[in-house]
Amino acid sequence: MKKWLLVALGAVAAGTAAVVAQSGATGNLVYNSQASDPAPRKFDEDQVAIFKKQYPGINMTHNIVDIEGFKTAIRTYLASDNPPDVLTWYAGNRMRAFAERGLAADISDVWTKNGWTKSFPKGMQELSKSEGKFVFVPTNYYWWAMYYRKDTFAKLGLKEATSWTQLLGLCDKLNAAGITPIVTGSKFLWPLGGWFDFLNMRVNGPKFHFDVTDGKIPYTDARVRKVFTYWKQLMDRKCFNSDSASLDWHEAAALMTATEPKGGMFLIGDFIRDQWKDGNEKTQLDFFRFPIINSQVPVGEEAPTDGYFLPAKAKNLDNAKLFLGFIGSKELMEKGVKELGRLAPRSDVDPALYASKPQIAKAQATIIGKADAIAQFYDRDTDPEMANIGMKGFQEFMSNPGALDSILKRLEAARVRIFK
Amino acid sequence: MVQVPVRTINRQQRAQRQFLTILSFLALPLILYTVWVIYPTFQTLLLSVTDWDGLSKTWNYVGAENFNRLFSEDPFRKSIINNILWIIVFITIPPAAGLGLAMVLNTDVKYDRFLKTAYYLPLVLATVVAAVVWAQGIYNPRTGLINTILSLFIGKSAFEIEWLGNPNLAIWSVIAVAVWRQVGYVMILYLAGLKTVDAEVLEAAKMDGAEGWTLFRYMVFPMLAPVTTIVVVISIIDSLRSFDMVNIMTRGNPFDSSNVLANYMYLSFEDYKMGYAASIAVVLFAISLVFIFLYLREVMRQEEAA
Repeated sequence: MKKWLLVALGAVAAGTAAVVAQSGATGNLVYNSQASDPAPRKFDEDQVAIFKKQYPGINMTHNIVDIEGFKTAIRTYLASDNPPDVLTWYAGNRMRAFAERGLAADISDVWTKNGWTKSFPKGMQELSKSEGKFVFVPTNYYWWAMYYRKDTFAKLGLKEATSWTQLLGLCDKLNAAGITPIVTGSKFLWPLGGWFDFLNMRVNGPKFHFDVTDGKIPYTDARVRKVFTYWKQLMDRKCFNSDSASLDWHEAAALMTATEPKGGMFLIGDFIRDQWKDGNEKTQLDFFRFPIINSQVPVGEEAPTDGYFLPAKAKNLDNAKLFLGFIGSKELMEKGVKELGRLAPRSDVDPALYASKPQIAKAQATIIGKADAIAQFYDRDTDPEMANIGMKGFQEFMSNPGALDSILKRLEAARVRIFK
Repeated sequence: MVQVPVRTINRQQRAQRQFLTILSFLALPLILYTVWVIYPTFQTLLLSVTDWDGLSKTWNYVGAENFNRLFSEDPFRKSIINNILWIIVFITIPPAAGLGLAMVLNTDVKYDRFLKTAYYLPLVLATVVAAVVWAQGIYNPRTGLINTILSLFIGKSAFEIEWLGNPNLAIWSVIAVAVWRQVGYVMILYLAGLKTVDAEVLEAAKMDGAEGWTLFRYMVFPMLAPVTTIVVVISIIDSLRSFDMVNIMTRGNPFDSSNVLANYMYLSFEDYKMGYAASIAVVLFAISLVFIFLYLREVMRQEEAA
């Protein structure tokens, strides 16, 4: 009797497993993603392949669009009557801008059905909501830090900077060794957003910084102005490459990946790791937390969250929701940790996985785990138009620091108009 | 007495029939033109007085606010100055160089077919391709062709010249590429013009002792006047249309120093400012209209003369 029951239960279980492994869902599904860099592209193609295997009845189209082009194209997708069913996007104001205009589908049912309200931490859930409804699924996040050439630092006997004076010291020593201390590339502007974010958070604290990105503080405020005096100290010490306006971030990163590096440090996100295509990053790449400037203020860090949403006009909503359930699953996120080395927003990811990636362990121990507040990024935290005007101002400041007053005045005029 | 009204009716009928025939030929292009050109033009005019963001279903009427902002903002001023610089360069250098090349290649020089093709080739290349090659292969400060060659003469400091990253240089670097493409185009126009110059007239002038510069200045150049007008007007319209080179090579950076109106309009689309972008389009349209009018008047006059 007992044996029979076990067999029956086993059969039912096997049946359920088969259903899970191969669903009977049919119809179409169009998925456009911006995973155009090699490592994310491979991961993206893999996850689509797994999904197709699990749902053989769904006729899925997967388009990978160049990442800078995607940011522009997404408006056309959303304005059209026949948008893709699933899109990659960024958490924060970037997502809210679409949701508030009624362009994102309500996916609260996906969250409840998959029990995500229990498996994602509260902060991540808040980040995924707009007007009380879930509109976004975060799938990975990463940290920003000062990345540096480990082998160059070792050769010159340099240490990770924990204070502002130490950072200035690093500039002097790297300059003396004939290496550009800090590289950046502002052809597409955004890398400079990181500089403003960190300096503002370190000088004035994260709370003040969020007030700035929310448009509550004038750009002409003395405290905002002070941020640029620190920036200028770096410029006066010739910390930056002089041709930053000519380079995009790949080209700036190439100054660091070269066998004989021309650059020592780069304030950037962990995706810079993917630029080491030869596997040498273990011996060449390391990072440290952006140095503390004012120890009186709480520590804010930058950890932008990427994820997915569904356009409100998507034709194949049911299939799209199946896909969201799939990419938000524990298995897929653990795969992401393993293969991309990004952090998973779910709280139930196997801790051993994090421990197996030294960079994640280090980021957890020294950056994320110690943060009092997390920012998304300048161009994700503030209004999109403000972000563009702001970052153009930062670029001008780096080229002509003497024009600071007129730049801040311009930013302030834009702030008043945009956040009215 | 009786025949007169009959003939009038016939004439009227004939005119009517003729009109219908013409209309049937014109109908298709007229419909397409209305849908794709006239309707969007009016749509743009309407948009320019709204605050539409390109995504929302609704918008508000804001009157002249977009235009007021436009004229008070820095990027617009920089863009319009750059458009004017572009025009000034475009109506001087390419016509002069193109005419010079045409004069030389119109004589029996060796390899003239090869040379004509070579000078025309940049125009055959897609603008985007040309822009990418120049931006990444030629202007790149660290690895580009120009700085690499310069470094042979002035040493390592050559690698610090930022053709596209220096706010004082960027617009000139972009215009230079546009000129490089335009010269071949102007050359072809003048070569075609030179074919129409009456050889007998030139022969007669030579008999009278005109040669070299005098022949060119007082005979050839005046006879090319219609071509010159067209070249100048086309150059101006091309300058106002300039977008692709700028967008690919600099996106108007650094901080708008190389921006032009068309690119500024495009970037405004990207910032969800459809209404504002439309107001830029209206200004650009108004400026272009003046030159398009001049161009059309010249073309009509020539056709009537012919």
